[in-house]
Amino acid sequence: MRSKFEFRLDRSLWLPIGVVIALFVFFSLTSSAFPTVRNLTILSAQASTLLIVCIGATFVVLMGSIDLSVGAVVLLVGALSVKIQNGTGIGAAIVLLAAVLGGVLGLINGIIYAYGAVPSFVVTLGSLSIFNGLGLQILQGRAISFNSEALDAIAIGQWVPPIQNITLCAIAIWGLGVLIAQRTRFGRYMYLIGGGESVARNSGIPVRRYKLYAFTLSGLIAGFGGILSVARLGAAGPTLGQELLLNSLAAIVVGGTSLSGGVGGPHRSLLGVLIISILDNGLNLLGVTAYPQLVIKGVVVITAVLVSQARRQGILIK
Amino acid sequence: MDVEGAGCRASPLLSVSGITKRFGGITVLDEVTFDIPSAKVIGLVGENGAGKSTLLNVLSGMLAPDAGEMHLGGEKYRPDGYGSATRLGISRIFQDQALILNVPVYANLVLGQEARFLRAGLFLDWKAMAAVAQKMVEVADIDVDVCRLTWEYDFSRRQAIEIVRACLAPIYLLHVTRPIVLMDEPTSALDKKDEAALFRLINRIKSFGSVVFVSHRLTEVLAISDVIHVLKDGRLVATVDPHVANESTLHSLMVGRERVSDYYHESRQCDARENPVLLEVRGLSRREKYKGVSLKVKSGEIVGIGGLLASGKSDLGKGIMGLEAPDDGSVRLEGLRQAKPEIRRLIHAGVGYIPAERLIEGLIAQFRLSWNISMAGGDDLFASRFGRWFEGKEEEVASEYVKKLSIRGGKPNIICQQLSGGNQQKVVLARWLCRKPRVLVLDNPTQGVDAGAKEEIYQLLRDLTAAGAGILLITDELLELIGLSNRIMIMQSGEVVAELDAPPDAKPTEKNLVALMLPASGKLPPTPPNAEMLAPST
Repeated sequence: MRSKFEFRLDRSLWLPIGVVIALFVFFSLTSSAFPTVRNLTILSAQASTLLIVCIGATFVVLMGSIDLSVGAVVLLVGALSVKIQNGTGIGAAIVLLAAVLGGVLGLINGIIYAYGAVPSFVVTLGSLSIFNGLGLQILQGRAISFNSEALDAIAIGQWVPPIQNITLCAIAIWGLGVLIAQRTRFGRYMYLIGGGESVARNSGIPVRRYKLYAFTLSGLIAGFGGILSVARLGAAGPTLGQELLLNSLAAIVVGGTSLSGGVGGPHRSLLGVLIISILDNGLNLLGVTAYPQLVIKGVVVITAVLVSQARRQGILIK
Repeated sequence: MDVEGAGCRASPLLSVSGITKRFGGITVLDEVTFDIPSAKVIGLVGENGAGKSTLLNVLSGMLAPDAGEMHLGGEKYRPDGYGSATRLGISRIFQDQALILNVPVYANLVLGQEARFLRAGLFLDWKAMAAVAQKMVEVADIDVDVCRLTWEYDFSRRQAIEIVRACLAPIYLLHVTRPIVLMDEPTSALDKKDEAALFRLINRIKSFGSVVFVSHRLTEVLAISDVIHVLKDGRLVATVDPHVANESTLHSLMVGRERVSDYYHESRQCDARENPVLLEVRGLSRREKYKGVSLKVKSGEIVGIGGLLASGKSDLGKGIMGLEAPDDGSVRLEGLRQAKPEIRRLIHAGVGYIPAERLIEGLIAQFRLSWNISMAGGDDLFASRFGRWFEGKEEEVASEYVKKLSIRGGKPNIICQQLSGGNQQKVVLARWLCRKPRVLVLDNPTQGVDAGAKEEIYQLLRDLTAAGAGILLITDELLELIGLSNRIMIMQSGEVVAELDAPPDAKPTEKNLVALMLPASGKLPPTPPNAEMLAPST
C-alpha cells in the first residue's frame, strides 16, 4: 500500500508547498484584505478554472507532450455553449455538452498528433490559433451573456458556504485526476510513455491510442473548465481563457511535472495552481499593476524550475 | 614481427605501448602495443567484442586508457577528447557519417575551423573557405564541387568528402604534416564501384598520412593494408603480412576461444526435434532489411540467429514482433496466424521480446523495478477490465521475481538505475516471465551483462525450454550462439545463408560460423541491402 502515500512522502514536494505557505504568509502580513473569508473565496474561485484546465493538460505533459490549446478550447467551448444556451435553454445539460465539445476538440489534436506524427507543440500551436479564431468569430469580439439559473447554481452557488461550487467541482476533478494518475492503467501508461516511449511500445502498450486518449481527456476537461468559467463570469467574452495558456503551463511546471515527461503528476499541479493564483491575487491586492505582475510571475516560474531542476540532475530537459 | 620494408624504418608516426582499458571487471584492452608508421595502411581485425572499437576510441581520445602510453611524432600523446585528437591530426571516419547535409561541401571541409576565416573578426570569408576546400578536393582528386550542397551527393561521395576532411583539413588548417585517419568499417555501406573509389582514395592519401583500417571484410583488409594486426579478447595476438596471409589464416587467429560447455548448461539442451512447432515465420521480408526469412521454433528449442552487425538479424527480430512491420510474409503462432504481425496480439498469445538496446528500448531506468516488471501486463495481469491498476499484485509479483531470479539489490520500489546491467536485464526478463511466455524473442540478451549474471540468465533460459518454451536467440556473441542453440541460422545481407544443427555433442566451432557469416571468399562482397536506402533521394 506504499504507493497510496507515495506523494506525501516525496521530498521534492516540500519546495512548492513551502512556496505556497511563504506566499500565503507574506500576503497575509502585507495586505489586510488578503486573509479574509471573502477574498479567499474569490481566490479559490479564480484558481478553480485554472486547476480544472491544468489537470487534463498535466496528463499530456506527463506523457512527454504538450497541450498549448487548452485556453483556446475554453474560449471556443465557452462561446459555443453560450450560443447554444441562449438558443435552446437546455440548462444544466449544457455542462455535459460543453465537456463533449471540448473532448472532440482534444480528439482532433490527438488524431493529428498521434497518427499524423506531427509534434504536439506544433499541432496545438496551430489548433490554439484555430480555436481562438473560431471562438472570437462566434463572439464577434463582444461578450455575450446568458441566463440560466441552473448554471449560476453550479458555478457560484454555495452548497458548502462560503465555498463556491466551482471550487468544489475543481477539487473533485483534481481528486479524480490524482486517482486516475495513481490507480489506473491509463495513468500508469502516461508515466510509462513519458518515461520511455519505445520501451512502452516494445512492451505492447498501445502508445498511439493512449496519446489520443490523453489529448481527448485534456480537451474534455478544458471544455468542462470552459463552461464553468463562463458560468462563473455570467458571460463569454473575447478575453476568456486568454491567460490560461501561460498560467496552465506555468502551474504544471512549477508544481514539478517535468516537460520531458514521466515525472510529476496531477497531484503536484494543485500546488502550482495555488502558487500562481495566490501570486496573482496577492499582487492585485497590493496594488501592483498588471504589467509588473507579469514580470514577477515570470521570475517566480523560472526560479521555481531552476531550484527544482538542480535536485533532479540527469533528467532530460526538453 | 617486423614486416615493414627496409625503406620505412624511420621512427613511427604514432606508437602505442601497453594500452590497457577495463570496464568494470572486464579487461577490454590488454597491454596493446603497436606502431603506426607514416604513409602506411594498418589493418585491424578481430571478432565482435575483440576490442577494435575500444582501441579506436582510445586512439581518437574518446576514451582514456587505464594504463599505457602513446607517442605521436616522438612526443607524448594524451588526448583529452576527440577535439584534441583532431587538432593533433588524428581523426576518425564513423560508420554513420558526421557531415552536416544542408550546408555546402566547403563548409563541411572546414567544419570546426571557421574561426580561421574571419574578416574583421566578425564576418565569415566564405570565398577563402571555398578556396581552401577546393584545394583539398583537388589534391585528393575527387570529383566534387565544393559549392554544392552536401546532400546533393550520394553516400559514397559524401564518405569521400569525410575522408578528405579527416585527412587534409589537419594539413591545410592545422598545419599538421602527417595526419592519421581511423576508419571503422568504412565499406559497410558501399557497393563495389564505390569501394574501388574508396580504395583509390586511400592509396592516394597514403602520400600524406596513415590510415588505420578496421573491417569485418577480411578480403578488403588483405587487399588494402600494408600490415595487419589481429585483436582477440583485447590482446594483440598477431601481426601479419598481408602478402603472405590469407583469409583463413586471419580467421584462425581471430577466433578459437575456449568454450566451457558447463557455462551454457549444454547438458540441459533439450532434444526438441519431435516437439510441436510454436512459432513459424514464413517468407518474412522488409525492404532493404531482410528478405524471405523462414524459420520454425519448436517447443523446448533454442534457435540461434547469428550474423555480422549489418546482417539484418536485429531488424528481423523487430519484424517478427511487428514493431517494424514487414512488407511480406507471415508470422504464425499455434492457433494464431498473422499476415501483419502485431505486437499486442503476439504478447497476448504468449510471446515475449527483449530488444538489444536495454537502456533505450528495454528498460525505463529512472522508474522503479515493479513498474518495469508489470509493464507488459497492463491488459490482463495488473489491471482490471475497467482499467483499475492492481498495485498490490504488482508489488507481490515484483517481490516474487526478485527472489526467483535473485535480482541483487532488488526490491519492488528500487529505481532500476541503481541495479547492475545484469540485474537490470533480469528485470526485463521478469517482465515476460511473469506472463508465462511460450515463445521468447531475445536480441542480444546478455549485452553489457557480467559473466556471473550471464550464467544465471543462461540457466533461466534452460529452465524455460525445459518447461516447454521456445526461444529465438539473436546474438552477436558467437560462444553464446553456439553454446545455447539447438539450431543455428546464419544471416548475411538480410538473407539466411546457412542453417546448422548444434546438438550438445557436435557443436559447430566459432571458425565454422565466422566463415559462414563473412561473404564468400575470393569475390568482393555483395551489395549490402541498405546501400540503396542510404543514398539520398534526390
